[in-house]
Amino acid sequence: MSVKVEVIEGGVPHNKIMIAGLVSTLVCIYLTYLNAFTNTEMFSFFGGLAVVSALIWGSHTIKVLCSYGIGTGVPSAGMIAFGSGTIAMLLATKYGMMAPIVALVLAAIIGYILGYVSNNILNMKIPAMVQALTEMAVVGALTVMGFAAMISGGFTFTGLTTSTASFLGLPITSYANSFLGGGLIAVAFLLGAIAIQHPFNACLGPGWKQDRMLMLTAECGFLSMIVAAVMSFALISAGSALISLIIAIIGWAYTYSQYFELSKRDAAAWLDSKPIPDTEGH
Amino acid sequence: MNPTAMAVGVVLLIIILGACWYVSPTLGLTALIGIIIGGVLIGFGTHFVPVGGAPAAMGQAPGIATGVAMLAAGAGLAGLFGGAWAAEQGMVVAVVTGGIGGGLMMAITCMMVNFVYVYGMGIPAASGKVLHDPITGDSQAEYKSQGTEGHGLPFVSFVGGVIGGILGGAGGTLIYLELLGLYEATFPKMMGATAAQVMPVAVAIAGMFAVALFLVNAVLTAYNITGTIEGPHDPKFKRWPRAIVASAVASALCGFVAILIVAM
Repeated sequence: MSVKVEVIEGGVPHNKIMIAGLVSTLVCIYLTYLNAFTNTEMFSFFGGLAVVSALIWGSHTIKVLCSYGIGTGVPSAGMIAFGSGTIAMLLATKYGMMAPIVALVLAAIIGYILGYVSNNILNMKIPAMVQALTEMAVVGALTVMGFAAMISGGFTFTGLTTSTASFLGLPITSYANSFLGGGLIAVAFLLGAIAIQHPFNACLGPGWKQDRMLMLTAECGFLSMIVAAVMSFALISAGSALISLIIAIIGWAYTYSQYFELSKRDAAAWLDSKPIPDTEGH
Repeated sequence: MNPTAMAVGVVLLIIILGACWYVSPTLGLTALIGIIIGGVLIGFGTHFVPVGGAPAAMGQAPGIATGVAMLAAGAGLAGLFGGAWAAEQGMVVAVVTGGIGGGLMMAITCMMVNFVYVYGMGIPAASGKVLHDPITGDSQAEYKSQGTEGHGLPFVSFVGGVIGGILGGAGGTLIYLELLGLYEATFPKMMGATAAQVMPVAVAIAGMFAVALFLVNAVLTAYNITGTIEGPHDPKFKRWPRAIVASAVASALCGFVAILIVAM
């Protein structure tokens, strides 16, 4: 049942990508905590950068898992990653400053049990399954948390469920106008779930190259970040949201042009054929 | 089937139920049992849905031409949204509405798929797994092209799809209702606000958990089916017992985490 269909050597080893992705994601999420220290919302964009680095790690994990013929399609891997990750992330937000660490541990436990269930109870018997589902649950949890930090400026339960609005000069607490109460988490969920599964789905095959797939992941991540930055105008100050938006657009433009270059490099033959010229007199 | 792993799964299920009884003996445990029933309904229902995958898109296997997770999510979420509209009219009405929503979604999908197969691709519906359709008794072998596993969407697959949609939609709605009831009862005290104020948060978190649980169950069932299934008459359908255990464990685990939000 479990035959590894693609054997591609070379490139950065998976463990290196995993450690780099984990560390940079956690550091970026914690950098959004500068918001609380400096009493601004300027550092929210670090949440978006956390999303990009988590997605790069996650898409390589999907590559490791889906190289075995699991027979269900690559998108299903992204869906289970975010399904299990979001559950862990929502509980973790209750732990204040410890939230990212709790999300990491909790998602790893959920992912590990789901991996055991699919490998042993459902008889998948894929060597990479347990580790891959563990990693993907963590990626899902940290990605949604990164989106939360970017859109609302914080990652605590109170910050995600309330916002203070001013009504006739009096501050009132609004629950509907928040990341969770406003349902923005559903958009963040799918932005991440699509961005994590698309790169391997698009790049798989005999011509798979690691750097090209990871560049596409970064491009998808920044594209999601643009949407999240637009949504963040609703919850954080316009200046801070503008910083996120500009960083996202610059990152997307750079990674998109790089991906285009890599695609041209890997194409069998690249011929820039012009449209058929209109000749006179026909 | 792996008996040791099944036993481990059942023990895990009992441990989680015990832990839930410990942190929240009445409200939490009732909700968790509802969530497990909902998850099992989703896992079982997904086996009925005729999934064809890429071969079906080329007319070489019967079923709807996409993956298990996508189809289950489509049917189940349509049901969940339908059921959520009826949430205020009581448990029975809402769950039935959710089931009808999911079934309707699958019925429309199956019908349009057959239109595309018959009038677009020019292929008749024929099952490759059975000689006669178990419901209508129509002979299948004469219509099956050589070198394929059948094609199109035979009547039994259509019925299977609708049943799968009904079970999935009802299960998703049940999870949503259980969590919504729990959060509506506990959030006002936890967040220090009135019931009306926390309503958007309760709806959003319950909805998000329901969607997440749905996707986890649908993908686990997809792993059980490994690829394509024709419907209830397919030999792969007999694998459902292990999916029931897997769905129960996964739903219990995720549901327990959802209950911990208000219990801790």
